[in-house]
Amino acid sequence: MASSNFNFINPFTFLNVQDSPGTYVGDFYTDNFEKGARAGNVILNLGPQHPSTHGVLRVLVELFGEYVLRSEPVLGYLHRMQEKMGEVKTPYQYLPNMGRVDYLNPIAWNWAFAGAVERLAGLEVPEKAEWLRVVSAELNRISSHLLWWGAFVMDLGGVTPILYAFEEREKINDILQIVTGSRLTYNYFRFGGVGQDADGRFVDLIKDFVPYMRERLKMYKALVTENIIFRRRLEGIGPMGEDICRRYGATGPIMRAAGVMCDTRRLYPYGIYDRFDYDIPTGPTDDCMGRYLVRLEEIKESLRILEQAVRDIPGGPHIVAKAPKPAYKLPAGESYFTVEGARGQVACHIISDGGKTPYRIKLRAPGFSNLSLFAEAAKGTLLADAIAILGSLDLVIPEVDR
Amino acid sequence: MRAIWDNIKGLYSLLVGMKITIVFLFSPRKTVHYPRKVVERENVENYRGPLELTRGKKDPAKTPCISCQLCVKACPGNCITVVKGKEGKAPSLWTYDFSYCCLCGACVETCPTGALAFSHRVYMVAKSREELLLDLLADLDDRVKKSPQLEAKTDAKSDAKSEAKTDSKADAKAGAPAKKDGEEPSPA
Repeated sequence: MASSNFNFINPFTFLNVQDSPGTYVGDFYTDNFEKGARAGNVILNLGPQHPSTHGVLRVLVELFGEYVLRSEPVLGYLHRMQEKMGEVKTPYQYLPNMGRVDYLNPIAWNWAFAGAVERLAGLEVPEKAEWLRVVSAELNRISSHLLWWGAFVMDLGGVTPILYAFEEREKINDILQIVTGSRLTYNYFRFGGVGQDADGRFVDLIKDFVPYMRERLKMYKALVTENIIFRRRLEGIGPMGEDICRRYGATGPIMRAAGVMCDTRRLYPYGIYDRFDYDIPTGPTDDCMGRYLVRLEEIKESLRILEQAVRDIPGGPHIVAKAPKPAYKLPAGESYFTVEGARGQVACHIISDGGKTPYRIKLRAPGFSNLSLFAEAAKGTLLADAIAILGSLDLVIPEVDR
Repeated sequence: MRAIWDNIKGLYSLLVGMKITIVFLFSPRKTVHYPRKVVERENVENYRGPLELTRGKKDPAKTPCISCQLCVKACPGNCITVVKGKEGKAPSLWTYDFSYCCLCGACVETCPTGALAFSHRVYMVAKSREELLLDLLADLDDRVKKSPQLEAKTDAKSDAKSEAKTDSKADAKAGAPAKKDGEEPSPA
């Protein structure tokens, strides 16, 4: 019975039950673990409904006492065929989908797809539209990091901070609602511009928001970052060095916490980011605390960009004169566009054969690569620390599954 | 010695956190308790609610829709049905399935006559799927009955204003259980 079945995946699991009656229960995924009776080890399903897995991620962990021997994330519970849907809708009709891929950072996905189409079609984006894109993307980055901050602290047992984070998030939602019309799944970008121009109230609210948010960050620091229980839960937990990040293709705050200056806004410049003066924070340590601090620093840098942006607002139209209509056909060819999302590098690759709909759309989700680190990083840690590592990856499951 | 000092600092950090929590405990409430209070109209001015037909410039009682079917083709969710009437270009049926709508605005942006706009109904509630199948021509008739003449230049703004008025009334009657279930609190 002790035959190892590590690499062989048998879809007909029920057959195995007959092989070893009474000793084996499980499904397709538990087949990757050793079968038969165990002395002290327990296989535990973390999720798909576990609150600390943020949605419907299922993680199978093999435990010895409280130590994680092996873990395996199981995906696919929120697979929505986003890429296939791009092949049956015209690009214009597919655009609202981009807000649904990652519901916490829709503007970055909007930008990735609109940018790829513009690159393929050779569309110029007016200056005002670029300005609106940068401002909305940075606001969205802050709101995404804020929700992560609350959810991460909640994973570690502090329930109230998420309510503080939501107070700021509501303010950002109010600002973004003025231009986008919605509060969650923004569909703001159009090919060759943005959907709606900003008014004076939009700018005024941002001007109020920036100093307010800075004050709140001080409160966050006193309330959470310096809390001794919080620090001891995170310091030295889940180190992810440059080597493991490069092997798994991790990007975003995880890579930056490892000390690598990896930011698409600098490496592959797009938009009008080159006009603003901002730093790319790289972490002091590559553990969970480092990733936490990098994200809080990023909020500060985004506030710096916003502060500079509202000082000098370009005029002009917010969309090109002959913007593509819903029945717009892409010219034949390929294009790739990548932007920096809150979780890492977001990219979109379009292949078009000149037909009504694109031939293929490939979405590069940063969460997918970041999650694949988890199995290796969580090996040998305590279960509670594995939860901290999972939280520090900032996963959004719809984006991971697409 | 170092460990003791660390622990004292740690205890102090907990006290600082506790102080912040207590300050927030006694600060005024930030949330809006929905049935008793509604959000300010200013906050929903650009909100995209379910679609509505705008009123014609010449005849405010009729829709400027010419049944050209462009919105039907543009819609990614196939949620619009427009049937052309027998006389002229005016539609005889204009239904819209809100349960399939993703509020992307493709129809509003395509419409050549500006017959479509997003309403600002934040408090729409439905108990079944059938209730989400909205008949926009009937909705337009209702609005025409309520106010036969156009108040301002554009429809969306006048609607926001009139709704703001009714909202302030609703605020005055706070707590009164006069509203029906499944109806937004704004109608007067």
